[in-house]
Amino acid sequence: MTSFQSTLGDEPGIAEELAENQRAISIAEFFEKNKHMLGFDSGARGLVTAVKEAVDNALDAAEEAGILPDIYVEIQEEGDYYRLVVEDNGPGITKESLPKVFGKLLYGSRFHAREQSRGQQGIGISAAVLYSQLTSGKPAKITSRTQEADEAQYFELIVDTDENEPEISVDETTSWDRPHGTRIELEMEANMRARSQLHDYIKHTAVVNPHARLELREPKAHFKFERATDQLPEETEEIRPHPHGVELGTVMKMLSATDSHSISGFLQEEFTRVGKKTADSVIDAFRDRYYGREMSWTPPTVSEDADVAAAVESATANKGAEATTAFAETIAEAVADTDRIAHHELLEVVASSAESVAEEYGTTFGDTVQENAVEAAWRTIAGLEVEEGDEPDADEEPRTVTDLYELADEATSTRKDDEVVHAFATRLAGKFEDVEDSRHRLTHGRLREYVDRAADLTEEYDDVAFGDTARENVTDAVWDVMVTVPDDPPLVRELADDRDAASDLVDAMRATDIMAPPTRCLSPISADLIEAGLKKEFEADFYAAATRDAEVHGGDPFIVEAGIAYGGDLEAEGSVDVLRFANRVPLVYQRGACATTDVVKSIGWRNYGLDQPGGSGLPNGSAVIMVHVASTNVPFTSESKDAVANVPEIEDEIELAIREAARELKSYLNKRRSMQKRRRKQSVLGEILPEMARKVAEVTGNDEPNIDDALARIMNNVLVERSVEANGDGQAVEIVVENHSSTNESLELTDIVTAEPTHLSDGATVVEMDGEWFVKWETDVGSGDEAVLEYEVADDASFDLDVKGVETEKLTVTDQ
Amino acid sequence: MSADNDQQAREQLIDLAAQFYDQFELGEIPHMSVPTRTKSNIEYDEEKGVWVYGDRTSTRSANSVRGARKLLKAVYTIEFLADQLEEGRSSTLRELYYLSESWDNENAQFSDQDESNGLIEDLEIVSGVTREDFHMRPEESGATIMGPLHLREQTRRGEREIHCQKDVGEGGYQIPNNPDTIEFLDNDADFILAVETGGMRDRLVENGFDEEYNALIVHLKGQPARATRRITKRLHDELDLPVTVFTDGDPWSYRIYGSVAYGSIKSAHLSEYLATPEAQFVGIQPADIVEYDLPTDPLSDSDRNALESELEDPRFQTDYWEEQIELQLDIDKKAEQQALASRGLDFVTDTYLPERLDAMDVL
Repeated sequence: MTSFQSTLGDEPGIAEELAENQRAISIAEFFEKNKHMLGFDSGARGLVTAVKEAVDNALDAAEEAGILPDIYVEIQEEGDYYRLVVEDNGPGITKESLPKVFGKLLYGSRFHAREQSRGQQGIGISAAVLYSQLTSGKPAKITSRTQEADEAQYFELIVDTDENEPEISVDETTSWDRPHGTRIELEMEANMRARSQLHDYIKHTAVVNPHARLELREPKAHFKFERATDQLPEETEEIRPHPHGVELGTVMKMLSATDSHSISGFLQEEFTRVGKKTADSVIDAFRDRYYGREMSWTPPTVSEDADVAAAVESATANKGAEATTAFAETIAEAVADTDRIAHHELLEVVASSAESVAEEYGTTFGDTVQENAVEAAWRTIAGLEVEEGDEPDADEEPRTVTDLYELADEATSTRKDDEVVHAFATRLAGKFEDVEDSRHRLTHGRLREYVDRAADLTEEYDDVAFGDTARENVTDAVWDVMVTVPDDPPLVRELADDRDAASDLVDAMRATDIMAPPTRCLSPISADLIEAGLKKEFEADFYAAATRDAEVHGGDPFIVEAGIAYGGDLEAEGSVDVLRFANRVPLVYQRGACATTDVVKSIGWRNYGLDQPGGSGLPNGSAVIMVHVASTNVPFTSESKDAVANVPEIEDEIELAIREAARELKSYLNKRRSMQKRRRKQSVLGEILPEMARKVAEVTGNDEPNIDDALARIMNNVLVERSVEANGDGQAVEIVVENHSSTNESLELTDIVTAEPTHLSDGATVVEMDGEWFVKWETDVGSGDEAVLEYEVADDASFDLDVKGVETEKLTVTDQ
Repeated sequence: MSADNDQQAREQLIDLAAQFYDQFELGEIPHMSVPTRTKSNIEYDEEKGVWVYGDRTSTRSANSVRGARKLLKAVYTIEFLADQLEEGRSSTLRELYYLSESWDNENAQFSDQDESNGLIEDLEIVSGVTREDFHMRPEESGATIMGPLHLREQTRRGEREIHCQKDVGEGGYQIPNNPDTIEFLDNDADFILAVETGGMRDRLVENGFDEEYNALIVHLKGQPARATRRITKRLHDELDLPVTVFTDGDPWSYRIYGSVAYGSIKSAHLSEYLATPEAQFVGIQPADIVEYDLPTDPLSDSDRNALESELEDPRFQTDYWEEQIELQLDIDKKAEQQALASRGLDFVTDTYLPERLDAMDVL
C-alpha cells in the first residue's frame, strides 16, 4: 500500500483516469445484468412477462379512463422470433407521453404514489420494449388513437441504449378500427414453452378482473374470456404517505421539497393521518431524541440540609433584604410544591417568582439575578457542589443518590441486595454529577450508557450480577421521570441538511401512535365479484369468497381477499390449484417462494373437509383456492414481482381470509355429505320397505299397504300428497304437506290444472295461461306440522304438481 | 305337538306381521319392542323365584337402514315359520341361517347365525311362543343322563321305554331336543348331579357313583342347552329330586351353575320354564381350592374381569357367592374338576363328593 500511496503524487493523471472509467453503465448493460430480476431470464419466461406487462398496462389505462377494458392479445410466430400484439380500448396515448411510457426505464408515475395499482416500479412495459429491441433488433410498433381523434397514429420506437433515451423513428397517421385505444407490437426472441403459465396468467387475470373482456390468440389456439360484470372497480384515491411507512431517504427528500417551515407544518401537510395533536406528539418524541430529556429531582424537604431559600438568598445581591428574602422564599415554596423538578421547570419557577416579587416590592430581578438564582437553586436541588473547596459532609450522602436509589430499588427485582442497589445508585449519581451539561440533559442512549457504566462498576466491585433486564428497567424508570424539554425544534430547512436530525425525526414518527392510513386508496375486488370471477372461469359446484377489512403494514394499508371453488369439473387428482394475485395481477412464477402458498400449506385442511396427506402442505382434491393481496405497496420477494414476501401482518390476514372462505366450504361439504347419506339411506330403504310391505301383505293375506307416510317420516322428509275425491259432478282436490323434518320448511307449490279450479282454500292464488290454470300456494310448515291446499275442479281435469323450496333429497311427492 | 298348538303358534306369528301391516297403514314407522337382553335388565321374580327381564326395552325400528333390514328379516322369518308350522315340519337354527340364502331378497338374508338366533329369540319373546313350538331346534347338544330312571320317550318312530342305566351304554341316555315329549315312569334316584365336563362324568360313571349313591348324573356339556335345563327342571319339579351342580372352579363355570339355577340372560323370558332355583352348587368352590390344596392355574385378566362382572350380576348377589368370588380374587387361582385327581382317581367319588354332598345335606 505504501508504495502505491507514494506514487499517487507523482502521477497527477491517475485520478482522472479512474474517473473516466467510472462512466455510467448503459441501460442495455443494466438490463442484461438484471434481466432475471425483471422476469426476462429466458425466452419462454420473457414472452409471458412481456404479455403480463402489456396487459397490466392496458388494464390500468382503460380503468383510469373509466372504460370497461377490452383487451386483445395475439402471439404470432415470425420465423425464429415471436411477435406479440396487445391491443386495448383505453384512452390512447399522445405522441409526447409515448416515449416516456414505453421507452424510459424507471419512468412511471406510480413509483411514489400511495395508491393501489398494478404496476409499481415503472419498469414493466419499457423493459419489454427493451427486451424486444435487444433480442430482435426491431423497434416497438405502437398504434394509438385518442378519444375523439379522427385518425390513429402509428409510431415506431427505438431506445438509445447508451443514453436510456427513447426515440420515435416513424410517426405517421394510419387507420384503425378501434375508436380509441393503444396497440403495441413487439418482436422478440422467445418460445412457447411457458404456454401453460401464459394461459394461467390470462385466465387468472379474467378471474380477478370480471369487468374486463380478454381475448388471446395463439398460433394454434384462441381463447375468449367474457365479462361477468359491467361494474368497474372503484376508483382509488391517492393518499399521502403514512408516517409509519416512510424511509429516511424519502423523508429527507420530502424535507427539502416541502413549502412548510416548521416541522409541525411539514408533518401535517405531507403525511396522512397527522393533525396538530399527532404532530405535537411526534415533535415531543423528536425532542426526546434530538435534545434529550432533562432529569428531574425531588425537591428538598424540610428535614434536609439542602435549603433552596438560603442558596438563592446568598446568590442574590443588591436587591434589598426584604425583597431578596421574599424572592428566595417564593422560589423555595414553588419548588417544594412540585413532585419533581427539572432544570427548565426551575427556570420557569424563578422567572415567575421574579415577576410576582417585583410587583410586590417594586424591585426588578434582572436576567443575571435570575440566572444566579437558578444556578444556586439547581445546585442545591441537584446536589452539586456549591463552590470549590466547599466539600459536602463526607457522612452526608448526596441527595441525588437517595433519589436514584428509590427509582432503582423500585425498578429492580426485590431479590437484589439493598447494599448493592445503594452502591449502584451512588455510582449512577456520580455519573450525573460528572455530566458536562449541568442541566442534566441526556438522550435515552446516553442515559443507558450511564446506567451500563454504573452497573458494570457495581458488578466489578460488589461481585454481583446486574443483568440486561435490570439495566433496562432502571433506564426506563429514570427515563420516565425525565422531562421532555421545551426547546423549539429546528426548522425544516435545518433538518433537511442534517441527516442525524432527520433520522431522529423518522424514529420519532415511528415511535408515535398514529391512526392507520385510510383505505380509499385500495380497491378490493369484493367477495361477490370474486365469486362471479371464479364462476366465470371454473365449472364448480360451490363457490365462496371473503374480503377482509383493511390492515396496515409499514404504513401501507392492505386488504386480503380469498375465494374457493370446489367440485364440478375441477381436476380431482393431485393437489388443489392456488391462484395468487397482487393488486389484481396474477402471480404465475415462484409459487413456492410466496407467502400465499406458505399460508395455504400451513392451514389444517382436513378440518375444512379437504384431503391433506400428512395433515400439512397443499390439500388434495377438486378445489381452487385464490388469494388477492391489494396494497399501496405489496411487498414482493424480488423486482420481478412473482411472489409476496413473508410479512407476518399480511400472512395473518391471508390466513384469516382463507379460513373465512373455507368455513363456508366446510359447511357446504358437511351438508353435501349429510345429503349423500340421506340419499343412500333413502335408496336402501326405498328398496327394503316396499319388500317388507309386500311380504307383510303376503303373510297377512291383505293388499299391499301404502308406505309413503312411513317412508317420509323415516327420512325426516317433507311429504306432499295429493288426494282426489269425487264430489258431485266435479272432484275435490286436497294437497297435504306433512313436515316430518326437524326444521321449519317453506314450500312453494305450483299445481298446473287443465280446468278452472274453484273454491280455493286460503292463501292460494290461480292464474290462467293458455288454457291451463296455475294454482300457486306458498306455505310455511313447522316441524311435525301439516298444511292443506284444497280446491274443486271438473272431473276430467288433470294435474301437474311442482314443489320448490325443499331440497329434493328431503322431499317426497306423491302425485296421483 | 298337537295341531292345535301349532295353529296357535302360527296365528301368533301372523298377528305379529299384521301389526307391521297396521303400522304401515297408519303412516307409522314399523317397529317392534323387545326387552333389552343384558344383565342390567334382569330382575328377580319373587313369586316364581327366577330371574326375568325388567322393564327396559329395545326397539327394532325401520327408521334406520339396519333396523329396516332387521324387520325385513323378521317378516321373512315369520313367513318361513308359518309355512313350516302349516306343513308340520321342523328345522334347526343352523338350517334357518342357511335357508335364508335361498330367499329372493338379499336384504333379508342373515349375515351370521348369531343374527338368526337372536331374531328367533326376539320372535319368541314378542309372540310369547317358545321356539320349540315354532318347531325350531338347536343342533343336538349331545347332553346325556345316566342313573336309575325309567322313562318313556315319544320319538318320531313311536314310543320308546328306556331305563337310563340298564338300557343305555356307557354314554348314557341322550336328552332329546324337546324333553317335554318324555314321560317319567319310575326312579330310584336320590338326587341329581349335573356335571360340567365329559371327563368328570366318565370318571363318575366308571367309579359307579350313580349306582352307589343313586344319583342321576346329567352331563351339561359346558353351558347347558335349553333341553338339558328343561329336563333338569322337570326332574326336580316332577320327581322332587334335589339338584346339585358340579363344575370347574372358575368364573365361567359359575355362569353354568347360574343358568341352571337362575336362568340365562338370553333366555330370561323362559326362566320360569327352564330355571331350577333350588339347584345347589357343589364345587369346585374357591374354598375347596384352599381346603384340598388343589393344583391350580393363576387367574387371567379375562378371568378377573369375569369375576368382577359377576359381582355386579344380580343373579350372583348373595352372601355365599360374594364370599366365594372375593376369596377367588384374593387367592388369584382357579382349578379344574380334574384337579381332584391329584389326590388319586377315587378321591372325587370316595372323599370329595360325599363330603360336599353331606355338607349340603343332600346325602
